[in-house]
This record gives sequence, C-alpha cells and structure tokens, in this order.
Amino acid sequence: MDFTIIVERDILALFLQGLLTTLKLLGISLAFGLLISIPLAVLRVSRHPLLAWPVWAYTYILRGTPMLLQLYLIYYGLSQFAAIRESFAWPWLSDATFCTALAFILNTSAYTTELIAGALRNIPHGEIEAARSYGMSKRQMYRHVLLPAALRRSLPAYSNEVLMMLHGTSLASTVTLLDLTAAADRVYATYYMPFEPFVTAGLLYLALTLVLLRLFWLAERRWLAYLQPRGA
Amino acid sequence: MNAHALGTPASPDATRPAPAHKLEVTDLHKRYGPVEVLKGVSLTAHAGDVISLIGSSGSGKSTFLRCINLLEQPHAGRIVVAGEELRLVPGRDGALKAADSQQLQRIRAKLAMVFQSFNLWAHMTVLENVTKAPIQVLGVAKEEALARARHYLEKVGLKNIEDRYPAHLSGGQQQRVAIARALAMEPEVMLFDEPTSALDPELVGEVLKVMRDLAEEGRTMIVVTHEMGFAREVSNHVIFLHQGRIEEQGDPRQVLTDPQSERLRQFISGRLK
Repeated sequence: MDFTIIVERDILALFLQGLLTTLKLLGISLAFGLLISIPLAVLRVSRHPLLAWPVWAYTYILRGTPMLLQLYLIYYGLSQFAAIRESFAWPWLSDATFCTALAFILNTSAYTTELIAGALRNIPHGEIEAARSYGMSKRQMYRHVLLPAALRRSLPAYSNEVLMMLHGTSLASTVTLLDLTAAADRVYATYYMPFEPFVTAGLLYLALTLVLLRLFWLAERRWLAYLQPRGA
Repeated sequence: MNAHALGTPASPDATRPAPAHKLEVTDLHKRYGPVEVLKGVSLTAHAGDVISLIGSSGSGKSTFLRCINLLEQPHAGRIVVAGEELRLVPGRDGALKAADSQQLQRIRAKLAMVFQSFNLWAHMTVLENVTKAPIQVLGVAKEEALARARHYLEKVGLKNIEDRYPAHLSGGQQQRVAIARALAMEPEVMLFDEPTSALDPELVGEVLKVMRDLAEEGRTMIVVTHEMGFAREVSNHVIFLHQGRIEEQGDPRQVLTDPQSERLRQFISGRLK
C-alpha cells in the first residue's frame, strides 16, 4: 500500500477535478429535478385522471428502469437516429455532460415527484378544509398550505434521495465524464494499483455525505421544528 | 323561522347600517347516497344573533353547518350571506356546487369557521396561522394583519406564544388560536362546529369563556354544540335538530326548560341530569 502517490500534485488535481464534476452533476440534477417534481407532484395527486395518469407513467418508467440504462439510451441510443442527429438539439444531445445531467434530472425528478406526492396525500384533511373554508383558491391553498407542508415533511426522505443521487453520479464515468469515480479509475489504470485510488474516492464520497447529512440536519431543525417535541 | 332578534346585545358600532340579515339559509336538503340527512332546514341570523344548534349525533347539525360554507354540498336550498346570494348550480353527482368559485371564496371569507379539531396549519407559527388568510385572501397589508393578529390573540387571552407551533400548545390554546384566526377575518358570521368536543374537560371552560365574550360583543355566531349551559345562557336562539329536521326552536330559556316535543324532552333529560 502506498498512498504517497495520491498526494502527488497531478493526482490530487485529478481527484479535485473529479470531485468538482461530481458536485456539479449532483447540484444540477437535484436543482432541476426538484424544480420539475413540484408541479409534477401536484398533477400526480390530481383527481383528474388525464392529469394524474401521465405523471404516473412518467415516474413508473423512470423508477422502473436502471439509471444506467436511461443514461445509455439518452447518450448512445438517441444518436442512432438521423432525425435527431440533424435536429437543433444535436449539439446538446451529443454532449456527454448534457446527456448525463438530463438522465440524472429525469431520474431524480421521478423519485422526488412520488415523494412529494406522498407527502401531499398525507396532509391532514382538516388543514385543507380550513384553507378552503377561509376562502383560499386552489392556487393559494397549494402555495401557502399544501406545498410548504409537503416539502417540509418530505425532507427526511429527500435526504435519502440526495445521497442515492450522490452515489448515482458515479455512472457518469461510463460515458467518458471525469467524475470522482472516473478519476480513481484513471489512477488505477495508470499505476496499476486499485486499492489506494478507490479508497481515496470512497473517503471523498464519505466526506461529501457527511456534509450533506449535516445540511439536512440543519434544514430539518429549521423547517421541521413544528413536528419536534416542545423545547427540542 | 323568523324574527328572533329579541334581547340581542347591541353591536358596538350600532350607527353603521348593517344589513338586517347576516345569514339566511332556506330549505336546505342534503343526501348521502339514498339517505337524506337534511330534510329542509332553514335558519336566519340577524346581526348579533347567537344561534345554538343542538341535537344528538346523526341529527345533521354539523352537516348543516358545513353546508353553509359549502364544505359539504347540499342538494337543494338557498344560502344568502350579508345580502349576497351564493349562486349554486347542480353538479354531475346531483349535489349543488358553486356557480362561480370566486364568489364562493369571497363568501367563505365572510363566514369564518372554527372546527372541532382546531385544524390549525401545523407548519405555521401561531402568528402565521392568524395572518395568513387575511393577507392572502382579504389582501390586508402585512403590518395591518400583524396588528390584527396581535389584537385578537390578546382578546382570546393568548400572549407570548406568537412564535410557537400549534403542536406545542394545549388543546384549549389551539382552539383559542383558531378563534383568533377566525376573528382576524373580521367575518360577518362565525361558524363553530362543536368547538369544545375535542377538548379535555378542564380546558372546555377557557374556550367557552372566549365564546361568551364574543357573544357579548355582538358577534353573529352559529354554534353547533353539546354544551347545554352555553346554549341556554349565551345564545339567544336555539334550534333542536332531529333526523334532519328542525324539531323545535326558539328562545333557549323557554325551549330548554319547557320543551314542547317529546324528543327534545328526552334529549334534554338524557343530558341535563
């Protein structure tokens, strides 16, 4: 075992670059994924089947297939069609970062949609009746009562989704992107030592996890205080 | 039922010409499937009236109250709030629904409701609970809404709990917050749906006291209640519902001490021993 190689400048720089790619992919997919999933969750709990059904199908397909497969389909699969290669979208769809982010966004949005939809369904009926009886429109009800309550209640489960996505970003290494896992892989290929680089990547993932857990702890303390016992 | 404005405490600003009828409900019918739970119930509330709706469970009293602001959909009837008739049209399932949802929202904002299980918004602080609807629904400026909230919280005897969450309050405190939330709408009529039924016995008194104060101020209140003491001493009109019909009504002192119908006699003797 020889960790001195890892701290050489070039290799540290490689890991740093991988770390940044991982963070970038995570940030983009979570931000856009959450943004999409809020309206989708509202549609998902709609009483109108024409609104609820397509969202059900969306989340079923994306949750029902592996993210790696989705990534391959978008990155490799789409390029098979001339119509796509000739379309305005090709500059984006031929870009690995774009395809990866797209796959991750779609995937996390499906899980997050179901998560928020579940929280929406679990809001005590009395709170909804109170909002109705005070003259709130549907829009006001969602904006001021239902969504704030559902998003808060989703926090603990969402922290899980965020950690899954953090580890899911390692799939980016399969489509030529240099994320944290790919950086470790490259060191392995160059020096023919697998243990040290993969342990290093693992430790970095653990460190990121710790930061994320801490952030969620703070968020829950702030936004879920109303569920805590008094004085906690 | 008709004029019963007898002995009503005068409204504090009696100079303002208020519409004679704050609330008029005429011949309300409601079915659950084939079962008719309301068979033509009417009620008129003038300014300052406190009307108690009593009856055994299943008599339809809560359903009637919830039909007034369309939390339940009646199948027939007419609802007029402060001179404005709620426009109703038949829905696909045969029940009536609001013809114009904006009108419904406007009318609901004039009928603040207090629920049996409080129904405070759990993720909002006390202050947010009391300011939310005035700001969002009535368009009251934030400063004004805060001032209103503090005023009404003090009126219901709550201080220094503005930043607490409902789950951190006792049931009696929660119900008083809910009453402050209703007051902050400055409604035409307040609807109380068994406001003390979910409370521990030792907490009932604090809520009833607040309601008594409101009655003395001249607020118009419709109260579904099991509290016979409140019905007798605070309300100026009592309606006894039985199997979806008004069995007997009138001045509470008279109706509750000398009931004419056998059913009301049974109801009272089962309760007032």
